[in-house]
Amino acid sequence: MTDRSRIALMLAPALLVLGGLFLTGLGLTLLRSFRYMPALGLTEPDLAAYTAVLTAPGFLRSLGLSLWIATASTAIAALLAMAAALLLRQSFPGRALVSFLIQLNLTVPHIVGAIGMLYLVSQSGSFARLAKAAGLIAGPQDFPALTQDPWAIGIILLYVWKELPFITLILLANLQALGEDHEATARTLGATRWQAFAHVLLPLMLPGLMAASALVFAFAFGAYEVPLILGAHAPKALPVLAWQAANDTDLAARPEAMAMAVLIAGIGLVLLALYARAARSRHVD
Amino acid sequence: MTTLALHGLRKSYPGAGQAAVHGLDLTVASGSLTALLGPSGCGKTTTMKLIAGLLTPDTGEVTLDGSPITPLPPERRGVAMVFQNPLLFPHLTVAQNVGFGLRMRHLPPAEIAARAQDMLARVRLDGLGDRRPSALSGGQQQRAALARALVLQPRVLLLDEPLSSLDPGLRDEMRALIRTLQQETGITTVVVTHDQSEAVALADRIALMLDGRLAQHGPPQDFYRRPASQAVARFFGGTNFLPGRSESGQFHAALGALTLPPGAPEGAHVLTIRSEALRLRPGPNPVSARIDAVTFLGTQTRVTLTAQGVTLQALTTPDEATSLSVGAEVTVSLPPEALWLLPVA
Repeated sequence: MTDRSRIALMLAPALLVLGGLFLTGLGLTLLRSFRYMPALGLTEPDLAAYTAVLTAPGFLRSLGLSLWIATASTAIAALLAMAAALLLRQSFPGRALVSFLIQLNLTVPHIVGAIGMLYLVSQSGSFARLAKAAGLIAGPQDFPALTQDPWAIGIILLYVWKELPFITLILLANLQALGEDHEATARTLGATRWQAFAHVLLPLMLPGLMAASALVFAFAFGAYEVPLILGAHAPKALPVLAWQAANDTDLAARPEAMAMAVLIAGIGLVLLALYARAARSRHVD
Repeated sequence: MTTLALHGLRKSYPGAGQAAVHGLDLTVASGSLTALLGPSGCGKTTTMKLIAGLLTPDTGEVTLDGSPITPLPPERRGVAMVFQNPLLFPHLTVAQNVGFGLRMRHLPPAEIAARAQDMLARVRLDGLGDRRPSALSGGQQQRAALARALVLQPRVLLLDEPLSSLDPGLRDEMRALIRTLQQETGITTVVVTHDQSEAVALADRIALMLDGRLAQHGPPQDFYRRPASQAVARFFGGTNFLPGRSESGQFHAALGALTLPPGAPEGAHVLTIRSEALRLRPGPNPVSARIDAVTFLGTQTRVTLTAQGVTLQALTTPDEATSLSVGAEVTVSLPPEALWLLPVA
């Protein structure tokens, strides 16, 4: 067997999954988004679904909401994860326990977390009841709206809680590989503790931080289940709109759902490409 | 020019049984190049980190020209340290690495660039300032790390095993460069090493650490001719040790009575002679011995002998060794001027 055919054979299972499931799915989605659905008698592709989606009154607000959710939760999770990783790098009593608690929620599915969040922080949730029992508020309506709220605080809280350990773990692995000698060197070269962090440790951590937060951003931008459970009625996050259109009993709404899915993927892709480019130029200069 | 002194320096790590450094006293003369020598785990690197301020001593003090620096953070000590690995900052160019310390002091960018260029030329890295550290060879990275420390004109320069990550061919070059730059700048320099030949070739003075304590401090020759203890002599390759008693210029031991050099101390001692000083021919203090083994070592040949039940080792030239055969009886001599008495314990 030649090297080429051996490589082809070894790659076959992965290619089968990628080609068979992902690329076929993507192809079908694209075809349907262009309103090419022979089963419904649609054989002339056009851009009507895209026009309908882009000109729908709530589209821009939904896009804005999705961008807000993804940006805010990524930024907060990344900052907190950096602090957590720097803390966990040091040895202190109880470090193992803190590390365990931080990693614990990696195992909780998003949807379980979202329902839990609803029980805890909604206006009829446990915290609201505790606040009322403690006499802090007169009734449930006085408790701040943290779910189904216009600022999507509940959604962002959930994403921060869920993605924090993920970024932390990546940063910790990064920090352990780096060791502490670069900072020690910087200190003996006259850098203060803060200068050693800002001029040496932070730039060294940045590639890992950028990569991990890009993954979190892409997920938070494209996932529908958390905003579906914790989001307000209007505006709805883009993925929620797409999901609802895809489940519409009117099959004619299908192309719009597909067009929205393509737009979500496209916008996410463009943002990540810009981000990667910024990360690269930052690393080079 | 700065005199570095350590007074009763002590450091133990939590969980470790014994202290890494036990009450170390050492004065490093201003402008000297001192090798801090010892086997791995003897506390050398801990001592360096205590001097640099990367560790805090349990007790004791580090002073520069008599003023204590122990309370100061690393960046305010004027002590620059170069680690075993070059540890260049990968996100900066070579020139930016060399200028790093000056930038931390907020010097004008033009001055930083000029001083970095000048320093790069002195370590023969001219023209490589714009490269990334990863584009340099191991030896070049080590020279850039040296430049990054020297450009600050520190009061004390600490080098932790600067040659151990280099290929043998590059070591001589780097050793010569360190020596030259140290003499040009006159910066008080301490080099940590576990390799006695490296210490001898590089340093004016050697401080030998064994088990967290200073075993001997002095010029390199002393460690061969006048070791302070059996442990020191063994670390420098000593193999011949003969317990006995010194009385009115004679040493009484299993080999009989040997004439000692004038001024030898009296009483119970261990006599030592370097294997290269032991002569494989008749002479003063003759002893008859049987040859047990002849081992060719390249530039030298090691001859193992037994005399009166005592094992002795001699180093000789391969030419001289051709006439020696295992099992033969020979007369060897122990020249009095090569004999040295060590304390018993």
